[in-house]
Amino acid sequence: MLQSRLNWFWLTLPWLLIFGLFWLFPVIYSFVLGFTNYRLLASGFDWIGFENYTRLISDPLFLSSLKNTALFVAVTIPATTILSLALALLVNRRFKGRALFRSGFFLPSITSMVVIALIFTNLLQRGGYIALLVEMIGLSPPENGFLLDSATALFSIMAMDVWMSVGYYMLIFLAGLKAIPEELYEAAEISGAGSFRKFFSITLPLLRPVMLFIVVVNSIKSFQVFVEIFVMTSGKFDTSTMVYFIYNTGLTTHFDLGYASAAAYALFVIILAFSLAQFFIIRRKEAIW
Amino acid sequence: MRLSRLILLTATFCLIAISVRSETTLEWWQFWTDPTVKPVLQEIVADFEEQNPDIKVNMTDLTWSNGHEKIVIAMASNTAPDILELGSDWIAQFADNGHLADISDDIAKDSSGMRGWSLAEYNNKIYARPWFLGTRVIFWNKDLVEKAVDSLPFVPVKFSDIYDAATKVSKLGKNIYGWGSNSPEKHRLYKKFMPFFWSSGAQLFSDDGKYCVLASTYGVEALTQYKQLHDSCGFLGNQRAIEDAFLDGKIGFVISGDWLLKRIALENRDINFATSLFPGPKYPGKSFLGGEYLAVSESSPNKSAALEFIRHITSAANQIKFCKANHSATPSSSEALSDPYFSSNAHLSLFNRQVVLAAHPPVDPDWVEIESLIEEAVEEALFGSGKIAVPLLDAQRKIEAIKAR
Repeated sequence: MLQSRLNWFWLTLPWLLIFGLFWLFPVIYSFVLGFTNYRLLASGFDWIGFENYTRLISDPLFLSSLKNTALFVAVTIPATTILSLALALLVNRRFKGRALFRSGFFLPSITSMVVIALIFTNLLQRGGYIALLVEMIGLSPPENGFLLDSATALFSIMAMDVWMSVGYYMLIFLAGLKAIPEELYEAAEISGAGSFRKFFSITLPLLRPVMLFIVVVNSIKSFQVFVEIFVMTSGKFDTSTMVYFIYNTGLTTHFDLGYASAAAYALFVIILAFSLAQFFIIRRKEAIW
Repeated sequence: MRLSRLILLTATFCLIAISVRSETTLEWWQFWTDPTVKPVLQEIVADFEEQNPDIKVNMTDLTWSNGHEKIVIAMASNTAPDILELGSDWIAQFADNGHLADISDDIAKDSSGMRGWSLAEYNNKIYARPWFLGTRVIFWNKDLVEKAVDSLPFVPVKFSDIYDAATKVSKLGKNIYGWGSNSPEKHRLYKKFMPFFWSSGAQLFSDDGKYCVLASTYGVEALTQYKQLHDSCGFLGNQRAIEDAFLDGKIGFVISGDWLLKRIALENRDINFATSLFPGPKYPGKSFLGGEYLAVSESSPNKSAALEFIRHITSAANQIKFCKANHSATPSSSEALSDPYFSSNAHLSLFNRQVVLAAHPPVDPDWVEIESLIEEAVEEALFGSGKIAVPLLDAQRKIEAIKAR
């Protein structure tokens, strides 16, 4: 028994060391830093209690980043979920070239975000292809391009993000659709159910666990949106999000790591609360179903 | 007894031999990765190693996009290299926090008439040795401008000369622009605006240094002129895109540095262009002055060897060698500047006239924060509300808050 426990200990020790050193220690250390005025280049720091947290509440840039993150989550999650479900239903049908469409929709999700962001920066600039398309349909694009206008910058990034993620979630929905027994549809058809009835009474309820998984995973990802913002706008034009705010505060201009740590924990609490709420909803719905 | 003496003698000899053979390794972080320049740098380093067989130099490449962050993190974690190449804007920030060695004595040993010491002076001490100075001038497409303007020869003396010519150039055809207008690029946009600011007679701080006066009448006038060019005929893009369009013959006027001369030469571009000093109410105007500096980390255990290496690399002969490879116009060494290479080319000569007429940002540990506030004000005027005085006043208030910390 003792030997077995010792074996367990030695076998997991490398992982425990890595976890402790590179995950647990930074998590605890940054929590402590959140109560200090530590700046990267300064020689020392003082304990300032909750001052960083009270400063966050009155910091217009933090509040704007919080608002932008909330907007990003509120827009991209429903859009991605609905579009990926629609695509999954579409490519689940039997037609010629189905595999090509599936691969085509999935391709953006395995491409580097930096590469996609750079391509879209080009497409969205003044005189770019998207501006030309908008002009062709009789609308006037923003004067300086989509990314240099506060009214359109964040929404442009959201649209790109949805385009990029939709193929990945389509694949997960597709797996969920494959798991639904064919007999249920046959029975519904015998009972005279039409396409809409079958979708709302069989497909959607049986896809609920998959859908909730997608919503949880996608919302965590959306709360942490960073690369797109970093590459396309550097947080300018009202596009700063929570993670970008943390990066900018802690690791670029200000090097204010104490304040950035407090902001990181504020984000952690928000994601935790959001995830707990989603899990609570899942458990309730599962109980109902 | 004899044996023990022999052992002692052998041990002493071995210890001396080991200490004689011990080698100092200098870590050097630098920003030159260009394949046309790096071999020259490696050659200069190899020369130094040959002259100093007990010193080895390890070069590590940084990029301008994230080099500053890497240096900050290295300093914060006490892993800074012995020698650092620094942008002049960063010196005060690192010196203020005690991360750079005071090399004030080095000036006394300088015999080559080094220029640009003032950019490395903080609290009456020198923290870095100038390597290259850098300034910007006006590049203009002669074919486009001479086709557009009425009176020749064209010499831009006032801002209105450039504005009038640029607006006329933009009317020459579709996809032809008068002015290269920079999109928001960190550490870059303010360098384009500041020449307008300084040339208009504006200054950042009051004479006694107590107050920020960014939003003075002169400051507002400078931003108005910059915005007029952007609004009326600006080609919007990052620096690379602007220079590409200029070299393709699509832009009348751009602000650029000596690196554009290098591109024109290396890419064998067929462009009929001219360079001009910055215009202004008191011609010539003031351009932006910066530079690349070499500093020694305070934590370095090899300070004297590091300083020796810095002296080697910034020697007049090595600066000439490097400038020729990089097409650089403005070495820090006056002795190097007397080489015919610099006077034989009209564009290089113009850069050297502009560099002495240029102004540099205050040597201030908070400069990186201050420059980002100036950039925000310019962005707000160009791409946001379009107002001029309000964003400048807002930035002025924030700068004063930084200085009051």
